[in-house]
Amino acid sequence: MPVFCWGAAKGGRVRRNTGDHVLAAIPLAWLAVLFLVPLGFTLVYSFGTSGFGSVTLGFSLDNYAQALGPLYLETFLRTLAFAVGSSAACLVFAYPIAYAIARRSGRFKIVAFALILVPYLASLLIRVMSWQILLAQGGPLERMLRSIGLLHSPLTILDSIPAVVIGTIAVYLPIAVIALAVVLDRIPPEVIEAGHDLGASPSATFFTVILPLSRPGIATAALLTAVPMLGELVIPVLLGGNKGLFLAQAISAQYVQSQNYALGSAMVVLLVIAIAVIVALLVRLTRGFDATGGEPGRPERAKRVEG
Amino acid sequence: MTAPALLRESGHPPVGSRGPRLVTGVALWVWFGVAVVFLFSPIVTAIAYSFNAGVAGKQTSAFTGFSWDWYSQAVSDPTIRQATETSLVVAFWAAVIAVLIGTILGFELARNPNRTVRRLLAALTYILLIVPDTVLGVSLLLFYTETRIPLSEFTLIAALTPPAISVVAFVIRARVLTLDPQIEDAASDLGASRLATLRLVVLPQLGPAIAAAAIIAYTFAFDNVVIANFLSTPTVNVLTVYLYGTLQYGATPAVYATATLIFAATIVVLALAALLLRTTVRFRARRGD
Repeated sequence: MPVFCWGAAKGGRVRRNTGDHVLAAIPLAWLAVLFLVPLGFTLVYSFGTSGFGSVTLGFSLDNYAQALGPLYLETFLRTLAFAVGSSAACLVFAYPIAYAIARRSGRFKIVAFALILVPYLASLLIRVMSWQILLAQGGPLERMLRSIGLLHSPLTILDSIPAVVIGTIAVYLPIAVIALAVVLDRIPPEVIEAGHDLGASPSATFFTVILPLSRPGIATAALLTAVPMLGELVIPVLLGGNKGLFLAQAISAQYVQSQNYALGSAMVVLLVIAIAVIVALLVRLTRGFDATGGEPGRPERAKRVEG
Repeated sequence: MTAPALLRESGHPPVGSRGPRLVTGVALWVWFGVAVVFLFSPIVTAIAYSFNAGVAGKQTSAFTGFSWDWYSQAVSDPTIRQATETSLVVAFWAAVIAVLIGTILGFELARNPNRTVRRLLAALTYILLIVPDTVLGVSLLLFYTETRIPLSEFTLIAALTPPAISVVAFVIRARVLTLDPQIEDAASDLGASRLATLRLVVLPQLGPAIAAAAIIAYTFAFDNVVIANFLSTPTVNVLTVYLYGTLQYGATPAVYATATLIFAATIVVLALAALLLRTTVRFRARRGD
């Protein structure tokens, strides 16, 4: 009987394997057509020469020279600084929140989580557009700051980079909190107790035990915030005064207004390269890139994605 | 690692550690409170200012008076009605496709026997999760233009699927990883075909996760601004693109009323979904599944 079962199980496994190979082709084909091929088009067109609304294919580096020329280099660098800075600010803001939820909330954990998550369920526009009111001259924030005596002149941050940063942090904060809380939640209490028992002060325990152990969460949170921020379009347009501050606005202008697809494509390629560099740096920073999977029995799934 | 019980008996907490712990605790919750206020203030503002009378039909930063008018205007405006209708239809089909393909992808991420295939799929799924919508939107615009595919509701639906697929895949993968493969082996031992195993054993266990993923995919597609912005046309106008356009040229309180209505609808749908999921789980627990 056991022998029969063993054989049958093996047979079942083989059949499942062949089926799964075919299944994997479906999502791969769909995403190839709608993501990889269009990205390939972008790469090819970035080397072309542009007329109005049409592109002559070829191999020219003019678009890259223009995209990295004096006009757009500043935009590119400003975008990088904005994404890295806002992501860092987001993480610093999020860490204590995630720590409170994961390690100090006790039986109110779900409530604490929900308080951070519910705003995230509102659509992006509702979360961004209200800052136009809140940060405006004569708006609620100005009146509040004046009444407590912190401000004596009109508030002039709307339609400038600080307003974009505030809106961006508000939009991405819940993602950073979740990514950090998931990892902080999984640090076994025994490890922290061991730190205390071996004589470490609470702050020493935090810096030598908890913070290093939460590194995968920090990397994931940085990835989930910094990369989308590099291509952020809606927040700068609505809160930055639509002055073409960042790369996504420059790209959008090339595609929609100037109809210079070749230059726009080159900018997209540069954006993708910037993303790849950030991803590579963060993946290198930690092998525990994967935040959701990975259990003791299946170690290979917990490892990083990129080979 | 030594046994924790032993540590608790032999060691004792350092003297005076309760005081600092309490202080950091209070500081943490104050910080948490600030974050909650920060996150809720735009939503509360949107709801409050949807009742703002405004000046000459425009939204103002000072509250000029209470008015219900913007809600009746939002509900009766033909452009908003048309755009909402398109949004509902487009998001529905995008969610259907995303659930079908994302479920397969999520299953393969966890179960594909080939390690290289798994890694390739995982890399693709992660990239889709983080790649900015601007990149997806403009590259699809270029692709559709140069292959002479006319922009329509179909091209928009297709364009909205990739990010939704990656989210669905992660939800499903997390659930598949918790399934016991031995149950499937048992099913095939008992003579179930591969299809029957999938239908009778795997899919029922994935049911709640698929339902949750479907709702997330729907909200993803409905709320998308950037991809829809690049791929919408005068005839295919979705609600988010209409609101986004209005917000750039001086918002009306009617926009705030519309956004508030969407938010209310989202909360109702999600609450219903949560209730549904809980009853399903309870029902299963009672049956002993």
